[in-house]
Amino acid sequence: MASEEESTVKEPLDLIRLSLDERIYVKLRSDRELRGKLHAYDQHLNMILGDVEEIITTVEIDDETYEEIVDTWRCRRNYHYSRD
Amino acid sequence: MSCSGLDDVFLSTSLASYLDKKLLVLLRDGRKLLGILRSFDQFANAVLEGACERVIVGDLYCDIPLGLYVIRGENVVLIGELDLEKEELPAHMISVSVAEIKKAQKAERDATDLKGSMRKRMEFLDFD
Amino acid sequence: MLFFSYFKELVGKEVTVELKNDLAIRGILHSVDQYLNIKLENTRVVDQDKYPHMLSVRNCFIRGSVVRYVQLPPDGVDIDILHDATRREARGG
Repeated sequence: MASEEESTVKEPLDLIRLSLDERIYVKLRSDRELRGKLHAYDQHLNMILGDVEEIITTVEIDDETYEEIVDTWRCRRNYHYSRD
Repeated sequence: MSCSGLDDVFLSTSLASYLDKKLLVLLRDGRKLLGILRSFDQFANAVLEGACERVIVGDLYCDIPLGLYVIRGENVVLIGELDLEKEELPAHMISVSVAEIKKAQKAERDATDLKGSMRKRMEFLDFD
Repeated sequence: MLFFSYFKELVGKEVTVELKNDLAIRGILHSVDQYLNIKLENTRVVDQDKYPHMLSVRNCFIRGSVVRYVQLPPDGVDIDILHDATRREARGG
């Protein structure tokens, strides 16, 4: 009974429940991406991720040539709580 | 006040320790207000007495007096207690008049506007 | 309630709070409430030169709605407890 409840997918967030303890990819606002192991989440999609890699993509305009310079930032962190 | 739940009281306790102290309030639009906290509620709505806006442009700054201010909580980012023992700003920063800071602010704004408009002009060339 | 309870457990530990305006502040977690508003003590701004107005701020209240991340202390995470709490929360919601 309990195991059946654990494995059924009735609503979108059930799919996220099945990703507990898996490495997941999260796309955030303002061109940010996270990869990390999902340890906890709630109905607002607040999350706790472990061993996180964050990628921030920024586009800068060069002062002289007005060229777009695409820059990606990578950083690794151990534990991380991310808010909705 | 008395009808609010236990958790509200918990939050109130939180800002209560800042009452009658000189604070820095950061707003969502980036503005920085200074003043003495006289009242607040569970939404972080706040009443500041003797409020002023601290405008900083590069190494220049100016405190523009505002008077008694009510701040709507949703605009608040952070409320910080100022340590009166410490310098509020780094020593190399220069206090200037309201007119001078407004001029510096405008120059800064014009520079970013130019960047934005050049970008728009270039965008239509971007066919890929 | 999961995150409220979790943060209450972290009171007294050092965390770094990164805000949606990119300001990152390190400090001791003093308290948290149901809205996940956070109070930090002994704070220092990670990129101090960029935020000169924060120089003399030692204690602060941060509105929960403007928080992007909280970097947690490595010993602040018991993975099994978090999994159980998350499953319980998922059933309840």
